[in-house]
Parts: sequence; structure tokens; C-alpha cells
Amino acid sequence: VRCQQYPPLRALQASAALRAASDEHKQEPWASSSQQHFDSPPAGHQPEEKPQGPHPSYTGQGGQESEDYESEEQLQHRILTAALEFVPEHGWTAEAIAEGAKTLGLSVAAAGLFHSDGSELILHFVSECNSKLSELLKKEQKLVQLGEAEKKPIDEFLRDAVEARLRMLIPYIEKWPQALSVLLLPRNIPSSLNLLTSMIDDIWHYAGDQSTDFNWYTRRAVLTAIYNTTELVMMQDSSPGFQDTWRFLENRVADAMTMSNTATQVQSTGEAVVQGLMGAAVTVSNAGTSRAVR
Amino acid sequence: VPGAGAALRPCSSRVAQDGINKPVIDRIIRVDHAGEYGANRIYAGQMAVLGRSSVGPIIQQMWNQEKNHLKRFNELMVAYRVRPTVLLPFWNVAGFVLGAGSALLGKKGAMACTVAVEENISEHYNNQIRTLIEEDPEKYKELLQVIKQFRDEEQEHHDIGLEHDAEATPAYSVLKTAIQLGCKAAIFLSERI
Repeated sequence: VRCQQYPPLRALQASAALRAASDEHKQEPWASSSQQHFDSPPAGHQPEEKPQGPHPSYTGQGGQESEDYESEEQLQHRILTAALEFVPEHGWTAEAIAEGAKTLGLSVAAAGLFHSDGSELILHFVSECNSKLSELLKKEQKLVQLGEAEKKPIDEFLRDAVEARLRMLIPYIEKWPQALSVLLLPRNIPSSLNLLTSMIDDIWHYAGDQSTDFNWYTRRAVLTAIYNTTELVMMQDSSPGFQDTWRFLENRVADAMTMSNTATQVQSTGEAVVQGLMGAAVTVSNAGTSRAVR
Repeated sequence: VPGAGAALRPCSSRVAQDGINKPVIDRIIRVDHAGEYGANRIYAGQMAVLGRSSVGPIIQQMWNQEKNHLKRFNELMVAYRVRPTVLLPFWNVAGFVLGAGSALLGKKGAMACTVAVEENISEHYNNQIRTLIEEDPEKYKELLQVIKQFRDEEQEHHDIGLEHDAEATPAYSVLKTAIQLGCKAAIFLSERI
């Protein structure tokens, strides 16, 4: 994804341009907007607040250069997070990013850092949702480990996890079909696929999957299908509280459980049949030899 | 490859476990798991043919050790959240066929197969030990210990194979080269797919 591929020079230029523009547009002090997203103030912008004392300016700039390079990614992260608020109104577009940049006191030219189709914004959103889901599942796991909660049966766990993840789309549901089509652009497929597979893997991991054979793939394929189809159903769902979607999800998960039970049954029946045939063959051959002996 | 992993991290929901080199560890555990799985199937094939012969007990003993190895790698795979190779069903069949096929060449054939495979595996484990030591011997201490122990045991199997006249097999060098080529291909593929 683009955020890691800026060479340092471009980063310095970009950050310098943004800071120059923001100096003109500064409505609020830099520190207050930066507190929204960081525990420690962004290193690259400290020199603006407090003059760098004993350091001569060229050294200060050298230090700034490397600090700016690191905070380039953080800067993009902050812009995209701020832009999400404007997505319901503007969609996954450069307008939303520009509005987000404005709330951070940056120039609307900041939207130029990103593709015009909103790819990075959407990927950022998906990544954030996945992280939230991970946190949620980790917390639940801790509760179970501490004995404060019951361990859920697998179908309920999967259902709840998928529902929790899909609910994160609700504020953006109007514009989500647009996002899905952008995620399917050839340029974005490696990243979006990677995000999808790691999310599904996370859910199975916290569900307690410990398979190390081909089941590893089967389970993830089944859950991916359930997730994707439920997501599509959700796009078309107009029922109150998306109850049709959750009912669909419940049925699909139940189907998957039935399928896996059936598969196990077929396998054990097959083994029993084979054993029966072997036994019959042995009996017949013994009967044959004993008759021959007599 | 580590660069690619770092570039994807901002958009991935997976957290690197305590700063380990995930792509490298992934590969190591995946290929070792596949290897032990394959070795299990090879010995199973050999036992199917030679189980009731004089070398049966020895093969069984080596097979038991491989079963332990596989069990250990199953645990490591879950602990490090590594994806198993998608070729497992293929190694299932190919391993059994190799074991049974070499056993059909006689006891010496089975031993030749064992020598070829175990020599390859020992070298492969040695490479991995080198890689891990170059990375960070302290961080990967547990994994290094496991691989070193397994390498020693595979070396034992290799020596047992030699003791049982593996080299007296007809067309020994041809057989050995063919099997080792196959093993190298299997290792290459299992690391990646």
C-alpha cells in the first residue's frame, strides 16, 4: 500500500508543503488537534511549538527530516481517520479526505496525497475495523480465561464475530457498495484480499481452531463465503435493525455446521463399510480354505 | 520478503508476535511440518510392505520418532499461527507411495530411501539452524532447540539406514539422487505454497 513507499525526499517536501499551507490556514493550535490521535506529540511538528534552543537550524532540519519521514505515515493515518466522519455525506472520495484534512488544520491539498478513488481511505477503514474486531475478540477471550464468561459454542461464536464486524459498516452502509467495488479493483485486490484473509484467520483463531491439516483451508474458505454473502445481503437489507441479515447469517452458519457434521458421518460410515467388506472377504477366504482342507 | 511484510503491516490486522521475523518463521515451521508429515507417510508406506519382515521393528521405531516430531510441529504451528502448506493432501499420497515403492524394492531399497531422505532433511535442518542463529539466537532459542534435537534424530535414522546395507541396493546412486531431487522440490514448494 502506498503509505510505506514514499522516499524520504518526497516525504519532506510533502510535509513541508502541508505545514506551510497549514500555517496560513491555522484556525486552532496544532497541539490540540494532534492530541486526538497520539499519546505523545508528533515529533516532526514540535519545533513549531517550541524553538529548538541550542541546536543550529541545519541540524534541526536534519533531525526534522527523519522525524518527518516517520510521521508521514502517522499523518496519513490521522487524515484518513478524520476523513471517515465525512464519508456518509461525500462518499469514499477525495472530498471526504479534504474535509478530514481541514478538520486537522491542514490544507485541502492534503487530499492529493491519496488516490482520487478513495482506495486508501477504504483500506484504512477496513484495517481499522479488523483491528477493532481483534480487540473485541481478545477481550472476550480474556473474560473466558478468567472464568467470567462462558465459552460459546462454535456456531454462536462465529455468528457473533461476523455480526460484530458487519455492524461496523452500519454508519457507512449507504456508501459501502461503492467501497466494495473499489476494493475489487485489480490494484487493490492484493491488499483487500490480505485484509479479508487475516480477519477470517483471526476469527477462527479466537474460535479455538487448532487444525494443522487441510481443514485449515476448508474452515477459512467456508467462513469467508459466509462473511461475503452476508455482507452482500446486508447491502440489500431494509428490515428494521437488519434482522433479515442476522437471520441469513444464522442459517448459513447452521448450514456450515450441518455440512461438517455430515462430512464426518460420511467418513465414519465409509470406514465402517470398508471394514465390513474386509471382514466379509476374510470370512469367505477362511470358509473356502477350511472347505478345501476338509 | 521481510520488506514486503513490513509494507503490508499498516493494513494488516495481524500483530507481529513480540517482534519475531514472521515471514521467516512462517516458512520454517510450514516446511518442517510438511516434512515431518511426509516422513510419517513414507514410514507408513514402508511398514505397509515390510511391517512383518525382519526390519519391521526398526522401521516402526523410526516411525514412532517421526510421529513425535509431527506432534511437536503441530503444536508449534498453532502457537505461531502458521498456515499449513496447501500441498498436504499431495504429500500424504506421495509420501506413502514413495515409502511403499522403495520397500517393494526390498529391505535394502527401503533403507536406501531412508538414507536419501534423512540426509536431505539433516542438511535442511542445518540450513534452518544457520538462518535462525544469524537472525537472533536468543529470541528463537526454543525453536532452535527443537530443530537441533530433530536434526540429531534424523541423522540417527540416516546412520541406521546405512547400517542396514542401504548402499548395497541395486542402482543405489540413481535411486538416491532421484529421491533427493524430489525432496528438494518438496521443500521448495512447501516453503512457498
